[in-house]
Amino acid sequence: MIHVSNLSFSYTKRSFISNMNFSVAEGEIFGFLGPSGAGKSTLQKILIGMLRTYQGSAVVNGIECKKRTKHFYENIGVDFEFSTMYEKLTAKENLHFFSSLYERKPRPVDELLEMVGLEHDADKRVADYSKGMKSRLNFIKALLHDPILLCLDEPMSGLDPTNSRVVKNMILEEKTKGKTILLTTHNMQDASELCDRVAFIVDGKISALDSPHNLIMSKGAATVTYTWVGEDGEHSASCPLRSLSSDERLRDLIHENRLQSIHSSEPTLNDIFVDITGRTLL
Amino acid sequence: MKAVRLSFFQMAVAMRRDMMLYAACLTPILAGFFFRFAIPILEALLMEHFQIPEVISPYYKLIDIFFAMLSPTMFCFVSAMVSLEEADEKTAGYLFITPLGKTGYLIARFGIPASAALLVTMILLPCFKLTVFSPLSILLFVAAGTLQGVIVALLVLTLSSNRLEGMAVTKLFTLTIFGAAIPFFIKDNIQYVLFILPSFWIGKAACEDTLLYIVPALALSAVWIYFLLKWYLRKI
Repeated sequence: MIHVSNLSFSYTKRSFISNMNFSVAEGEIFGFLGPSGAGKSTLQKILIGMLRTYQGSAVVNGIECKKRTKHFYENIGVDFEFSTMYEKLTAKENLHFFSSLYERKPRPVDELLEMVGLEHDADKRVADYSKGMKSRLNFIKALLHDPILLCLDEPMSGLDPTNSRVVKNMILEEKTKGKTILLTTHNMQDASELCDRVAFIVDGKISALDSPHNLIMSKGAATVTYTWVGEDGEHSASCPLRSLSSDERLRDLIHENRLQSIHSSEPTLNDIFVDITGRTLL
Repeated sequence: MKAVRLSFFQMAVAMRRDMMLYAACLTPILAGFFFRFAIPILEALLMEHFQIPEVISPYYKLIDIFFAMLSPTMFCFVSAMVSLEEADEKTAGYLFITPLGKTGYLIARFGIPASAALLVTMILLPCFKLTVFSPLSILLFVAAGTLQGVIVALLVLTLSSNRLEGMAVTKLFTLTIFGAAIPFFIKDNIQYVLFILPSFWIGKAACEDTLLYIVPALALSAVWIYFLLKWYLRKI
């Protein structure tokens, strides 16, 4: 679906994105992770044909992005982090207008509004919506024309846990329909849960690219922490998961039934990000 | 074409919900009635009062070309206000990545309104004119006036970031149409200081009754529109 090779781009004389290479398969959820100003949004703008003065190649759905025509957009749905709605129009009027721009038969507006819990606010002006409501409305606008590629920029931003779950489920449902999804996010937990693969982007370069599971496991840093009560009070100790059987103290404690607690802990995607890039996302 | 048509209708919906924009569209008709009927009455009163043969009538041609610029400027002002709101709400940028695209958006927001303004002014100018114009001169003056309207609209869009600023900038840049008055009042070469304004050449064409001066007006307008469009697209 997406093939990027030797992609470079700059706003000024200084290179902003340099020599990027990656591919995204059809039906894959691919995440761009990185701190603010890393180049995620610029990369997304290139892939949706907004920035066309790049070097190298960025092919989306068989079309070189800099040579895109209006038909290119029939197959792409974009959800920006900010609202892109007419504030004076109602949610329904907005959705009807935007869907009318496409040749493809739109998905039923009422059904989409119901899926994100906005059916009772469909006739309310967008100006009167809360941030979370605007975010959900923006999200379903990207789905209206049933595109085969979805570019979602922080789609869960501003949502409460319940609505965040609803949106995540809808993203996963789109994947089951074979849609390709590009997800740009700061949230490592969302990325771990939704993405088949993620790319860590720092200073306009891809620092790592793999599935969240592989990235976590590649570090092999899972540890087991256990506690027990001795004569002088409670103690705790840790050992790497891979050398658990060679921990004699743990073996003895198990044998003597003296363990108070035991739990394993894996590094998070955030830990791996910090480890690989030396940067934090916050 | 469907997307362009629908996007233009969307602008019409926005206009219908905004009384200020509605009123702006009616302004040329009100101004036309004033120019056509009130000014000759005023001229008669002034002539009688000052006991001289003419006061305003030597400038009737100037009033006519002001009308040829005012009418399209008001229509283009409406487009500019709608576009400014769309830029503010970030819907304009979003429309660029739909099948409407940048070109479609510019046609819907400037091409169609400017063409409509041209047609309406072609009808209104013969109704409200104070002097004699040949059909060719009406076409040329209205075409140059329409481009002047597009320039004002693009200046508003590039130099302001919201509607309030937009209205202030409109007042300021509508003054550029007064460049047309210079050839009527300044006869020596110092008048060419304002050669950069297309309205100056429109005024010169009217003042000297030489349609050839419309050519630099059109050429300069094209240059202004080219650079302002580039600036506007970079801003969005």
